[in-house]
Amino acid sequence: MGRRVRAPAEVGSERLRTFNKVLVANRGEIAVRVIRACRDLGISAVAVYSEVDRDALHVRLADEAYPIGPASPRESYLAIEKLVAVARRSGCEAVHPGYGFLSESADFAQAVADAGLVFVGPPADVQRLLGDKTRARRLAADAGVPVAEGTMESLRDLDAARETARRIGFPLMLKAAGGGGGKGMRIVRSSEELAPAWRVASGEASGAFGTAALFVERLIEHARHVEMQIVADEQGNVVWLGERDCSIQRRHQKLIEESPGPSVDDALRARLGDAAVRVARAASYRNAGTVEFLVDEEGRFHFLEVNTRLQVEHPVTESVTGIDLVALQFHISAGGALPLAQGEIGSRGAAIELRVTAEDARAGFVPAGGVIDLVRLPSGPGVRVDHALFEGARVPTEYDPLVAKIVVWGRDRAEALARARRAVRETVIAGVPTSLPFHAHALADPEFVAGRYDTGYVAARWDGSDPPELAASASLAAALVAVLARRRPPSAHADGVATAWQRSAREDALR
Amino acid sequence: MRYEVRVADRAYRVDLDASGRFLVDGAAVAAVASEVVPRREWQISLEGVSHDVVVLTREPLRLLVDGVEATASAIDERALAASPNARQQVSGRHELRAPMPGLLRAVHVREGDIVERDAPVITLEAMKMENEIRAPARARVTKLAAAVGAKIEAGAVIVVLSEVE
Repeated sequence: MGRRVRAPAEVGSERLRTFNKVLVANRGEIAVRVIRACRDLGISAVAVYSEVDRDALHVRLADEAYPIGPASPRESYLAIEKLVAVARRSGCEAVHPGYGFLSESADFAQAVADAGLVFVGPPADVQRLLGDKTRARRLAADAGVPVAEGTMESLRDLDAARETARRIGFPLMLKAAGGGGGKGMRIVRSSEELAPAWRVASGEASGAFGTAALFVERLIEHARHVEMQIVADEQGNVVWLGERDCSIQRRHQKLIEESPGPSVDDALRARLGDAAVRVARAASYRNAGTVEFLVDEEGRFHFLEVNTRLQVEHPVTESVTGIDLVALQFHISAGGALPLAQGEIGSRGAAIELRVTAEDARAGFVPAGGVIDLVRLPSGPGVRVDHALFEGARVPTEYDPLVAKIVVWGRDRAEALARARRAVRETVIAGVPTSLPFHAHALADPEFVAGRYDTGYVAARWDGSDPPELAASASLAAALVAVLARRRPPSAHADGVATAWQRSAREDALR
Repeated sequence: MRYEVRVADRAYRVDLDASGRFLVDGAAVAAVASEVVPRREWQISLEGVSHDVVVLTREPLRLLVDGVEATASAIDERALAASPNARQQVSGRHELRAPMPGLLRAVHVREGDIVERDAPVITLEAMKMENEIRAPARARVTKLAAAVGAKIEAGAVIVVLSEVE
């Protein structure tokens, strides 16, 4: 591994085992991503959709698509019986869950297996073991991997949390034992904050994971969130594919991910890889997964949790290793052995992913639904965009606000950053507010450019204000458009040769 | 028609006459405009320099100017005359609206309070997440339009703030 120049080993699709037909039990850009892997491998892809997703891109790209109910996730994308019924009825051999929804549900993995189908991901017992975040902490500690200080069991009640707080001190984190993804998670800086934080976190946890159970972890300030991609086959082989630094987050959810991590040297990378593989072996892990760590200011790392699914940010690793992780997931699920040994896995250059979400980056990243009525996505050397956008696409408020991922690759980080800036400048998404102004800001910020950032970056460096670089002439052009944009739609009788100005003035006269 | 226009932190007075000529702050501007995408995208040429401007969102008005996003507002003289509040909008009136349907979980201020820039004003629950909506500037709370526990429609005004020095 490391940054030594070495071409990644070839894993041609002809060497991979596959299926004939697969159910893609998800929506949005990840459903599109999985369908693309199916196409590459000659697999027939079956999509599902809720009432608000009838026109969605994944539905149109799939070979077959079936309705599964109302917009509410509980009645559609989380409805295990409906999904299994579609898979059986349409003659699928396997089910790919994507990320989110049922991707980390042991019950879903079990239901798929019970129906005689293959679940493309870790089996139910692994999901159950690692889905309990306190059991995962005990497992990692027993495997000799450093674990962030805190409780190794769920807390009985608020009094137990108070007792723990007295022992390890503030600031601390309250976290949901039932799952991750930033839900049911609160930072607590003083004893007064503990009771209200407990209430909010347990409420969020029971809504998101069906259990209100919480545990406590010491808050590591100025930490970096560094995670290690692993893949394990049915034969017991486990490899690591390099790290991603995911420290740029809002509400404990990621906005930017990159590999290599700017703070990770070859020695730390090897130690993180070794720790991740030890955790995977201890859990009898299968398929693709991610072991998450915090790296503190002294460069010490602490195990956080295992994400037992394909990650949103998997294209970062695909870009630097040249390995199609979704294709590899299918191969392993079909019983294939890992086609690569650890020593054959190379890494080239640097990759950065920017998550484009339908959120108002200038107003605290508040999610916003709406209709996309103009979309222009970037391309060119080193730019990949995974998305589910088209003009007229509705962004439903019922689901995750992620609408596109801009993934850039460069021979080094500087080239990747330049391509990222170019890509953001080319991107036009009109109709809903997005996270793009934040990305433009970060890519121009000397601290981010120098790789000096941690999980406190968004709070410390982004205030949502207008960018300083708007030139006087550009600003004036914008002022004129602000006036033109207030006009009503041009009438059917509009003179074809009239300039926008004349039409605008005429409409004024008619008002 | 006369407009008071704001782009980022710059203010303009724009007059549009019947022949389609523009005056900006009283001076004629030689500008050629073409509407590239109806009601969405314009190409504006100013003394030979061309700018691409896309309307990203209308409420609030956000423009993409040569690939750079900026906030803007344009209020015409009739609206200014009709509504005593409209002029304030140019000079620091802020309506905090629900960007999507949700539940009002908490209100952190009372009417008459002065809030600092970035101070939390309300907490709205949407998409299973609690979102704190913060003050865009140091401002006085002039109106609270909803109570804790209320279901909020998308676009509904929840709090009105007016900037103070």
